[in-house]
Amino acid sequence: MKKLFTQTILASLVTFTLMACSKTSDTTVVNNTPVTATVKDLVADTVLGVDPKTGPYSAGKYTFYSIENNSIVPNTDSATTKWDLAFMSTRILTNGGTSGTGKGGAFIYKGLFEDIKTIAADSVFKTDNAPSAYAITTGSGKGWYNYDQLTSLITPIAGRVLVIKTASGKYAKLEILSYYKGGVTLSPTASDADKLTKQRYYTFRFTYQPNGTTTF
Amino acid sequence: MGKHILILLFFGPLVAVGQKVILVKDTLSANGDSVVVTATRSERKLSNITVPVTIINAKTIQQNGALRLTDILKEQTGLTMTSGFGAGVQLQGLNPDYTIILINGEPLVGRTAGVLDLNRIALGNIKKIEIVKGPSSSLYGSEAMAGVINIITDASTTIPLQASIRYGTYNTLDANVNNTLATKNLFYQGFYNYYNTDGYSIRPNSNNRVTTPISRLSTSQQFKYKLTENTNLVFNTRLTDEKIISNIAVSNGGVTIYSNGKEHNTDINLTGSLNHRFSNNLKTSFRSYLTNYVSNQDLLTLSGAPYSDLLNHLFQRIENQTDWTVSKKLTGIFGAGAVWEGVKSSRYDSEKVRKNNTIQYGFTQWEWTPMDKLIVIGGVRFDQNASYASAWSPKLSMLYKLNPQHKIKLSIGQGFKAPDFRQLYLDFTNVAAGNYSVYGSAEAQKVIGQLNSLGQIGSLYSNYYLLKSLQPESSTGIHLSWDWEPNPKTFISVEAFRNDIKNLIEVQQVGAYTSGAQIFSYLNIGRAYTQGLELETKYQWSPEWSFSGGYQFILTGDKDQIAQIKAGTVYTRDANGISSRLGLTDYIGLPNISKHKAQFKINYVTNNGYFANCRILYRSKWAVNNTNGNEVYDSGDSFAAGYLSLYSSAGKNFTNGLSLQMGCDNMTNYIDANNLSNLPGRTFYFSIKYQIINKK
Repeated sequence: MKKLFTQTILASLVTFTLMACSKTSDTTVVNNTPVTATVKDLVADTVLGVDPKTGPYSAGKYTFYSIENNSIVPNTDSATTKWDLAFMSTRILTNGGTSGTGKGGAFIYKGLFEDIKTIAADSVFKTDNAPSAYAITTGSGKGWYNYDQLTSLITPIAGRVLVIKTASGKYAKLEILSYYKGGVTLSPTASDADKLTKQRYYTFRFTYQPNGTTTF
Repeated sequence: MGKHILILLFFGPLVAVGQKVILVKDTLSANGDSVVVTATRSERKLSNITVPVTIINAKTIQQNGALRLTDILKEQTGLTMTSGFGAGVQLQGLNPDYTIILINGEPLVGRTAGVLDLNRIALGNIKKIEIVKGPSSSLYGSEAMAGVINIITDASTTIPLQASIRYGTYNTLDANVNNTLATKNLFYQGFYNYYNTDGYSIRPNSNNRVTTPISRLSTSQQFKYKLTENTNLVFNTRLTDEKIISNIAVSNGGVTIYSNGKEHNTDINLTGSLNHRFSNNLKTSFRSYLTNYVSNQDLLTLSGAPYSDLLNHLFQRIENQTDWTVSKKLTGIFGAGAVWEGVKSSRYDSEKVRKNNTIQYGFTQWEWTPMDKLIVIGGVRFDQNASYASAWSPKLSMLYKLNPQHKIKLSIGQGFKAPDFRQLYLDFTNVAAGNYSVYGSAEAQKVIGQLNSLGQIGSLYSNYYLLKSLQPESSTGIHLSWDWEPNPKTFISVEAFRNDIKNLIEVQQVGAYTSGAQIFSYLNIGRAYTQGLELETKYQWSPEWSFSGGYQFILTGDKDQIAQIKAGTVYTRDANGISSRLGLTDYIGLPNISKHKAQFKINYVTNNGYFANCRILYRSKWAVNNTNGNEVYDSGDSFAAGYLSLYSSAGKNFTNGLSLQMGCDNMTNYIDANNLSNLPGRTFYFSIKYQIINKK
């Protein structure tokens, strides 16, 4: 009970911080008209410190996000259908399957964001099946990012679009632009400290179709 | 003189040809009387060589103040030094793996990640260095895909004793002693070199500029014994022993591990040969060679965890070569040999078990001179071995002398590089960085299969099912060059080259552990090309002043990536992270290659022994990291900046045998710690040499 309490406090603290540092733009919610927005510096379980023995550590918490409302959802609502995506380091959950109670799912499209005018009819949306398979495939080179062993940098793979089914079964397309604070991937020669503390800040753009169709 | 030439021709392939034929006169043109052995495996005048060849003579080495092989190679057109795993050489855009390094015709072994550290080779007793570019040098077998660098040691008897000492920045001390002894039938030369520096070198996995103290002892002994007028025996030994103290810091995931390391590398080479001349038209030589490179790296981290890394490469070879002069217009050589080779490494499954390979090979080459103006050479080599597929290496080259001013050379050939032991047998898990594993292709399926049956494998990629025995990488090269000597003071050479490489062996992910850690192995997948132009000029302005310059322009590309770009399936990101399709105009090609490279040298020599020179080297930017979210190198990736560096040296050779020299390297103090770990800041040196000259 005490643990749960602590977690909740922590979660709300984290959420508060998140809301403080993420800002959104271009948000106009008109039903039937697709909504396009860019989310900057969404915190996804940032590194809190480095243990000299075990390495970097963090709170181990997801950040829940509602595509439909273009806003962060408190962790207390993790068991609801209020959120569509959840971010923790490089892993992104959809609200469905083993991850949530919604109708959420996703697949990774190879091509340009602008290329998706309508989601192809034969597209297969996958759902999360933890711990082995996620709708948004985890791992370097397999999903949305590459990890470079030499430079320790995460770069979003160019030409990858996450096609999302929201918790309520509507559609969105999303492109991750950066994993680093400020929206720009660090230079390979950046300091180790920067590489650790400035990572896990998502910048992404998405287009959401509120009318439930697959056309943007 | 005629007799001398015969004897020299006869001794030729084994020991550097005697000084009587090669008056090491800094001739401007390629028409000098220099003799080249590497290009055709037999002595030929440079003016009759049909393939692109560069000769660096002892005088240039001395005047440039070059100590190690890297010092002099970096100033050659078309050659670039690489850093990481020691100093390697990139030749016409191909990585160090693809250039074979020979000492008196015998290959050096002991490569780390494909790189042979050229700092191992002291230049104190070098007569000359021959560089043959392109796979037209294919009679040397594996590794001679980009080219051959043959270091020929001095075997002159005019200087019975010579000693030199040099001291410079970073407490760099280099001391040499050379002694020779010649009687009617016996020739002996001993060479001793001691090198010690406080260093500045950078170890793998460390981005910090650290100093790494090195002390290195090299010695070589050459014996030649004339059994009869037509038969001789040659025995050479060479030993390099180096000790490196490396205190390194490895950072991974924010945890930095400091460790105190010691590295001990020993390189032993033994050569014996028996040479016999049956007649003026027929001679043969039997050669045996043994070399052993042992590298021991011991690291003790400050937390007390020991780590040791052993590499032990043993290489033994026997070879026979017979040279037959059929007529004035036709000569041929035949050769055959066998290699026993084995490597023990702590990065294989057991460092106690030597992984072995045996190779048998044969080659022949014919030189036809249908008329004075035309020389045509054709040759072929076949390598058959136990561990991978066999390989044919054919070559054809020709030289056409339009007139005394103009010469045209054309060569076409195919070379190969055998899969190395690492690519076959590596069994390495990087505990320090993410627990990823790399397994050599010969063992990968077996090892991964066993792990799978133990339930440790999370997923197998389609690449896993493509694993099979590796093919040698192969390259087909075409070189066309034009030498122009408008007047005796001017020499211009233009060369165009193209190399098409297939079956490139690349590291690919083949699966993942249940923990998600990646598993890699090696597959033949890549196809690439390099092509470019090289320009070399020399101009003797006055008896004292001369100028020389060189320029290389190179374009490279991965053919599979180019096909993907053309198909529109390669994307890139702009500074804001927005993806777009990559166009061919933004494609860079292979990494670590500078499109432009140039050097210029001003040389001043007086007839009373003064000399001075100034050299300028330029290298344009090169791609180092893939940072914009695709697997190809394009204009949006990160580059090392292009740079200019400046070197100069001056001295005097006194008639009594004393020489004094001083110099400054990297005068503008250009430093790029991340990308040029082999380039120290500005350094100064002073050297003094004394030689007893035999007035004979």
